[in-house]
Amino acid sequence: MARSLAGFLVFSLFVSICGAASLFQPISESHRSAALELFTPDHGSFKSLEETYEALRTFEVLGIEKKPDLTASACRSISETLGSPSSTPKDLFYALKANSIAKCRINEKTSEGIITKLNAAVSGASSLLDFYYSVGGLVLIKDQTSKADVHLADAEGVFRSVKAFSQSDGRWRYSSNNPESSAFAAGIALETLAGIVSLASSEIDQSLINTLKNDISKLFDSIEKYDDGALYFDDKLVDGREYQGPLSTTSSVVRGLTAFAAVTAGSLNLPGDKILGLAKFFLGIEAPGDAKDFFNQIDSLACLENNRQEFLLVRVNTVLGSSAPPLTVKLVGAYSSGSKDKSLVESQELKFEAGTGVHILNNLPKTIDVGSYTFVFEIVLHESEHEKIYVTGSQTKVPIFVTGLIKIENAEIVLDNDLGNVEAQKKLDLAGQNAVSLSAKHLQKLRLSFQLTTPRGRAFKPHQALLKLRHESKIEHIFVVGNPGKQFEIVLVKYLLFHRLSTFLDFLQLVDKFFYLSGRYDIELTVGDAVMENSLLQAIGHVELDLPEPPEKAPRPPAQPVDPYSRYGPKAEIEHIFRAPDKRPPKELSLAFLGLTILPLLGFLVGEKSGT
Amino acid sequence: MGKLWVIFVALISILLPFLCNSFSPETPTDRRVLVLLDDFAIKSSHSLYFNSLKSRGFELDFKLADDPNIALQRYGQYLYDALILFCPSVERFGGSVDLAGILSFVDSGHDLIIAADANASDLIREVATECGVDFDEDPSAMVIDHTSYAVSETEGDHTLIAGDGFIKSDVILGSKKINAPVLFKGIGHSLNPANNLVLKVLSASPAAYSANPKSKLSTPPSLTGSAISLVSVVQARNNARILITGSISMFSNRFFRSGVQKAGSPTKHEKSGNEQFSTEISKWVFHERGHLKAVNVKHHKVGETEEPALYRINDDLEYSVEIYEWSGTSWEPYVADDVQVQFYMMSPYVLKTLSNNKKGLYSTSFKVPDVYGVFQFKVEYQKLGYTSLSLSKQIPVRPYRHNEYERFIPAAYPYYGAAFSMMAGFFIFSFVHLYSK
Repeated sequence: MARSLAGFLVFSLFVSICGAASLFQPISESHRSAALELFTPDHGSFKSLEETYEALRTFEVLGIEKKPDLTASACRSISETLGSPSSTPKDLFYALKANSIAKCRINEKTSEGIITKLNAAVSGASSLLDFYYSVGGLVLIKDQTSKADVHLADAEGVFRSVKAFSQSDGRWRYSSNNPESSAFAAGIALETLAGIVSLASSEIDQSLINTLKNDISKLFDSIEKYDDGALYFDDKLVDGREYQGPLSTTSSVVRGLTAFAAVTAGSLNLPGDKILGLAKFFLGIEAPGDAKDFFNQIDSLACLENNRQEFLLVRVNTVLGSSAPPLTVKLVGAYSSGSKDKSLVESQELKFEAGTGVHILNNLPKTIDVGSYTFVFEIVLHESEHEKIYVTGSQTKVPIFVTGLIKIENAEIVLDNDLGNVEAQKKLDLAGQNAVSLSAKHLQKLRLSFQLTTPRGRAFKPHQALLKLRHESKIEHIFVVGNPGKQFEIVLVKYLLFHRLSTFLDFLQLVDKFFYLSGRYDIELTVGDAVMENSLLQAIGHVELDLPEPPEKAPRPPAQPVDPYSRYGPKAEIEHIFRAPDKRPPKELSLAFLGLTILPLLGFLVGEKSGT
Repeated sequence: MGKLWVIFVALISILLPFLCNSFSPETPTDRRVLVLLDDFAIKSSHSLYFNSLKSRGFELDFKLADDPNIALQRYGQYLYDALILFCPSVERFGGSVDLAGILSFVDSGHDLIIAADANASDLIREVATECGVDFDEDPSAMVIDHTSYAVSETEGDHTLIAGDGFIKSDVILGSKKINAPVLFKGIGHSLNPANNLVLKVLSASPAAYSANPKSKLSTPPSLTGSAISLVSVVQARNNARILITGSISMFSNRFFRSGVQKAGSPTKHEKSGNEQFSTEISKWVFHERGHLKAVNVKHHKVGETEEPALYRINDDLEYSVEIYEWSGTSWEPYVADDVQVQFYMMSPYVLKTLSNNKKGLYSTSFKVPDVYGVFQFKVEYQKLGYTSLSLSKQIPVRPYRHNEYERFIPAAYPYYGAAFSMMAGFFIFSFVHLYSK
């Protein structure tokens, strides 16, 4: 970086970017794997619905594919809780929250029962948490059922009774008889009030909302600060039971704020650096080791992210790392790596934050999507005498990769017959497991297609999109997915791969290329790009190919390297087989025959004796 | 006296390959290494690696690759025992060094380390090709891996790879497991399938491919997946060893010191595996490990100690050999259970695994086959990462002499009996016929 700079004292730029994607870039692979480790269900399900919700939400935010059994077991416990008459508003609230992600079906009757039950709970509520659970439950069920008549009869009255818990310093109490107030409760209250506003059948009095906004700015006065500029909320340790720790407190406030900001028309006047400080706080924690903390971190970041706060932080220092004199950093232009001529942003100055020494650019333009960009910065020293001491590069070019999760949709593998009719069509889940098994003849076509879209909804063409067919004999054939001319379908790119086994020419070419090897081919798809956070290598399944017999002059498949481990090692022992000794009669038999051969002599002797 | 002479000649013939080898067992630390560099900046940017070599007793001679005074040999004698080519972009070597010179240097049993990078010259590619590996022909291609790249703040195009596909061989990579992945940034190569002397030491992950990261991919990349080798070694038949890698920066101080976190893995290693990997593999390349010698090849009949000039068929014999491994400082007994001896004439008649006494002595006994001719005791020992042992000792085998068969066969008793009874009967008959009146 900053290679173009020269001189005896050079500024270098350290740039980090909070991604324009659905995630901040600092939340990365390490978080994903940590999430999988932390949220592991016992015997297929989590202990409580609260935990289930936290796991599902974390997975959703991080873009981790849910395991189907996890959703199924969640659905089971959700429907149990919703159907049971003894569930408290708290149970219902978490069940509905989990359901907002698991998206199980709730039948009409159950939901009607829940609505009346929660409405009764709202009117009977006396503490902040009662309001929170019942109102929250109503908001959730409103989103989840088709019934539009979920609303609070006396929204303003409920609003006022919740507002009664607020304190003058912006913190809130849990109930009217408990004098202790906390920022954690403030977050809960804000979320509840936001729910009430969204459930109200008529407009809530604007003055009520305005006082609430004042409360919020008061709450921000009590914000605490780390040396590195990270901001957080914390409650004084008054009561061990209710003390939540800075992470959950801050997280609760952030949730409340975003919920409230979403339902009110006028914008909340929160300074950008406050939001940035909060984001920094969450990011500074790295990956917490506790599931609850982890959820709080991820959920809050997602909330902040939904607020579309995107930052570009630039730190300027000398080559030895000492801090720079007063100066202004200007973003002169941003160019996508493909086209060098047109700048995507207009030139603007970055805001300097004195506490951290960081220059901030808020709100990256919408034109910046995932991809690699070159940002050009210019450094202007404030005092002219400094120009004699420091040398700055006139324009510093910084390559920036904006990464994001790419959505993979509509993946399917289609087998056409020679007439162009679809013979077999299989949907693929490219993020999960696939085991497609097909069989094809040389007159058929195989087509694999999928769509990739960036988080901003644009079509995305990855650098690496390779389909690999591997024969049993380890011979590999690689095809680049993406057929020019066929790939643009209105907005989205459709990658098509044609195995043209149909036309005579192509058939010959491909069969030649396959060395006439029939048999099982394993299909493997690799999709990857430098800016794609969910690059994948997937074994899709296999296809049995039935190819014609090779002609005489067909090319031979190339030799494959031998596995080094099998090349060495002891050989089988060889024993010499000795010539078997000649078969001989038993000694007794030989002796008997010896006797027989002597017998005539004896007979002769006896005859001789008797003759004389 | 004659026998002693035979043994002496046999020992010389066995030891001769070792005596001619670049490896000198007596003074292994006194090894001269020529390091050819593109520019002297590499000497300081890769100083940790060079210092680790120096600390192990190697004399490094740094020269620019185009220095007109460099020479590998003078008056037919090689001036160096090993050559390190850290000069990826050199188009022509200076002095008398050229491609043929380097190849004959290796052919005479000397070691070689080649490190290339993204702008490797044709000359370096040719040297590599001659050694049995082919670098990607596309000059702008680099190894890219979108799934097992090293997480880095400054580089986002996934060409910095965290490689952990190590060969499973303690002798090449040392007995201590390399836990941290090895950082690699450079070009990939593939092994020539016809060459069975070259081994992949560090292979890329299945999702890797070799392409130009800056341009769109229109044709399938020539190298993909685990077929890409990041680091390879060759052990020639004369036990010369070669290391080839497509990344010169993997030996750099920056990569040695840098931490590494592989994408998708939660563990962040404080230090990359580069230092351990490079050090261990240089120990192997410079014959500090995995070098075997065989001495005291003996064979004799069971119950005797003298080595006979020839065996008779069906003799019982004992064969023994002592094998030692060089540990960097001394010869240690080599312990393995897969050393085999063959009793060989045109093809092995007997192939037997030798048993060892854990002190380097391998022995076995077997019966000489009942086939006569000129046999050989052969030990052809090849093991992944070790130098190969090839011993052979000729010995004739004769059939039974005529007086070595059994004298009287019971099955023939009737014939003996018949003959003698006939003779006796004839004698008695003649006697009776002549003298009876």
